Amino acid sequence: MNTQYAVKTSNLTKIYGDKKALAGVDLEVMPGEMVVLLGLSGSGKSTFLRHIDALERPTGGEVQVLGTDLSKLSGRGLRQLRSKVGFVFQQFELVPSLTALENVLTGALSTLRGPRLGLAMYPRRLRLKALETLERVGLLEWAYERADTLSGGQQQRVAIARALMQEPEILLADEPVASLDPESSIVVMDLMKEIAAERNLTVLCSLHQVDLALSWADRIVGLRHGSVVLDTPTAGLSRESVMEIYGQLAPVPEAAISDLENELKKAADARNQSLAASGAAS
Amino acid sequence: MSMATPLKTAGKLDLRSGSLPKPAPERTAVALTLLTIFAVSLISLWQSGISITSMIGSADNAQRFLARVGTVSFPPAAELIELTLFTLGLVLTGTLLAAALSVPVAYIAAANTTPGGAWQALGRFMTVITRAIPDVVFAMVFILVFSIGALPGILAIGLHSIGMISKLFADAIEQIDEGPRLAIRASGGTKAQEFFGGILPQVLPSWIATVLHRNDINLRGSVILGYVGVMGLGLEMSYAFKSLNYSLGVGIAIVMFVLCVAMELISGAVRKVLLGQGTSKARTGKKTAIAMTVNSKRPWTADRVRNLVWGWGAVAIALGGVWVSNINWSDLVTVWPKLPAIMAQFFPPNFGSYDFATMAMAMGKTLSIALAAMVLALGVSIIIGSFAARNVAPTPGIRTGSRFGLVIIRGVPEVILAILLIVVTGLGSQAGIIALAFGGIGLLGKLIADSVEEVNPGPQKALIATGASRLQTYFSATLPQSARAMVGHTFYLLDTNIRAATILGIVGGGGIGYYLLNAGQGSNYPLVTSIVIMILLTVLAVEGLAMWVRKVLR
Repeated sequence: MNTQYAVKTSNLTKIYGDKKALAGVDLEVMPGEMVVLLGLSGSGKSTFLRHIDALERPTGGEVQVLGTDLSKLSGRGLRQLRSKVGFVFQQFELVPSLTALENVLTGALSTLRGPRLGLAMYPRRLRLKALETLERVGLLEWAYERADTLSGGQQQRVAIARALMQEPEILLADEPVASLDPESSIVVMDLMKEIAAERNLTVLCSLHQVDLALSWADRIVGLRHGSVVLDTPTAGLSRESVMEIYGQLAPVPEAAISDLENELKKAADARNQSLAASGAAS
Repeated sequence: MSMATPLKTAGKLDLRSGSLPKPAPERTAVALTLLTIFAVSLISLWQSGISITSMIGSADNAQRFLARVGTVSFPPAAELIELTLFTLGLVLTGTLLAAALSVPVAYIAAANTTPGGAWQALGRFMTVITRAIPDVVFAMVFILVFSIGALPGILAIGLHSIGMISKLFADAIEQIDEGPRLAIRASGGTKAQEFFGGILPQVLPSWIATVLHRNDINLRGSVILGYVGVMGLGLEMSYAFKSLNYSLGVGIAIVMFVLCVAMELISGAVRKVLLGQGTSKARTGKKTAIAMTVNSKRPWTADRVRNLVWGWGAVAIALGGVWVSNINWSDLVTVWPKLPAIMAQFFPPNFGSYDFATMAMAMGKTLSIALAAMVLALGVSIIIGSFAARNVAPTPGIRTGSRFGLVIIRGVPEVILAILLIVVTGLGSQAGIIALAFGGIGLLGKLIADSVEEVNPGPQKALIATGASRLQTYFSATLPQSARAMVGHTFYLLDTNIRAATILGIVGGGGIGYYLLNAGQGSNYPLVTSIVIMILLTVLAVEGLAMWVRKVLR
């Protein structure tokens, strides 16, 4: 087993029906690295991240996380590995009817045996830890508020706290600020960076904003149609050079649009002509 | 700000102690109410004396009974076909009448179409009152008015079904996308144009599904109408059991069973076609679209042919239903002068030779049967219903199996099951509770499965990602999201059970229904009115409680 890498994928391939979401991705991420996956929607960023937490199973290739081949894991072993990998989602994915505190506590479920229903069923030790974690993300005062009464930025911070309750070694974030306003985005991204530095986390974060990626990451990986088209450290990289590559990530299917427009125009013309002809005849 | 959320100024030390804050008083009240209902239900179940030993004891009864029945017999083929067609026609016509009457009721009751607050109150009142008065009571009244024929049954079904149909119709109207309607109004359309152009196309699939669903329910209920004298299979069955001709009674019950299951399967298939249409339909091809623009004619696509066949098929079936019911139309004209005298017989309400305490006890008995059946069904339904949900079932096979089991259970008409159980086991209310609970599993299990499938899958995915187990994810993400819906569905089951438990009394299950039947058959109409008022108040109380709980649980 090669334990050098936090995450290592070899020829990772995923096919949905007849669509290739990942077309053989090779990527190695060192412990403590902050990597941003850059690309448009549909480029395979989310699919890639979901494979790192075994939320999806690959069609082909291999995923190693913390030195373990995910395909060899199932049941308890898989849950144990997942508990070391935190996941932050674009839509936060909190349980709306539960309090912020209880949502954070659910992050510790993998350390407990059996189901929990209600705050009182969690050990006091974990409740205190959850409160501390909420304080770390600046939301202690909101601990007993229902998740659906919080703003988007606050909800994402609760979601980060939930991930921290796992005491993860790796943090995955799938478009964590795509549903937030610019100010909340900065708060959330800064918070993640601070926490990652404090705890020496390995972070893989997908984004589509070039500026944010440049200022935030150690390394940028560009994806397009499920393949890596760019893999570079951010140090010394200019905005222009990234934009140039980013432009290549986003081809516009103009030919298809103009094709359809032409045909509709022809049809309309034909109809107008026949109408004019019948009008003249009467 | 600090006033709005006092917690934020409570100071960090308080929070850090790890002690839990007190919940809001209203939520505590709701929790206590729910706990009380649950406890009373458990006590009812315990007091009913349902136990494994009594089940085994009743097996002897059943054996003796079956020995007496000997072979099951059926009415002569021609008579059977005639009775079956008549029953189907009567139920269908009644349901369609209710559907037609429900459109205006739903229109004035729906929040986004009502002409005003008073109209909305009137619409809601009609919805509640028609639902709360059992169809057997309507049937008793209409048999007095029309004596014999199909009309009492049709009108009883027609009026009672308005309650459920108009409620669901109104819900559908409230869920529409307001855009198209607004567009019609903006272009100067009338209210009627808004309805037919902007609302009807959006609600039609859901409305048809509702009517089909109600038609199934009415077919099951038609048996009971026979017990108060409405013609059809139910009447023949009640005659057979009353004259101790058990072999014929059981034979007719089996025919009803088969009819109900067949109808459920047919309407299920039709609903699937109707509701699945939007997703399965292919887009109009580019070539066809261009041809349409040029010729201004709609091409005969497979979809259009299919819709036409379905549409006219439905009209033909509806007309057939009216035709086989053989309605004496002139009755509808001649009846009006007689009406005031007949209605006067029902007022003023009194308790006849009974006192209030006896009646209250009987009502309590009915309520306890309903509660016991509810709690029995709830326990089983949460398990089966969750396994029948795509996002909980460990394998697709388990989901399919559970769904299939629920369909089978739902296909069994509970009242007929109750009649059979009561006659076969001789157990009375215990048999009634088991039959109601069985039917309840079919209903509640499906509702729970659907609401579990409807939860946002995100939080479940998030908890799986933290390494939580399947059971932990279910309790921490799935259940909290569907709990409110489950409480609502359980109240709905209780509501249904109270009506059904009333009806059980009519067929020998004990409770208020027994007195209702006696009062009706003994022409003691003021007592009928009193009993109806008691049922009405009970149902309204449960409905009010349900509304309060749902409001607080938000």
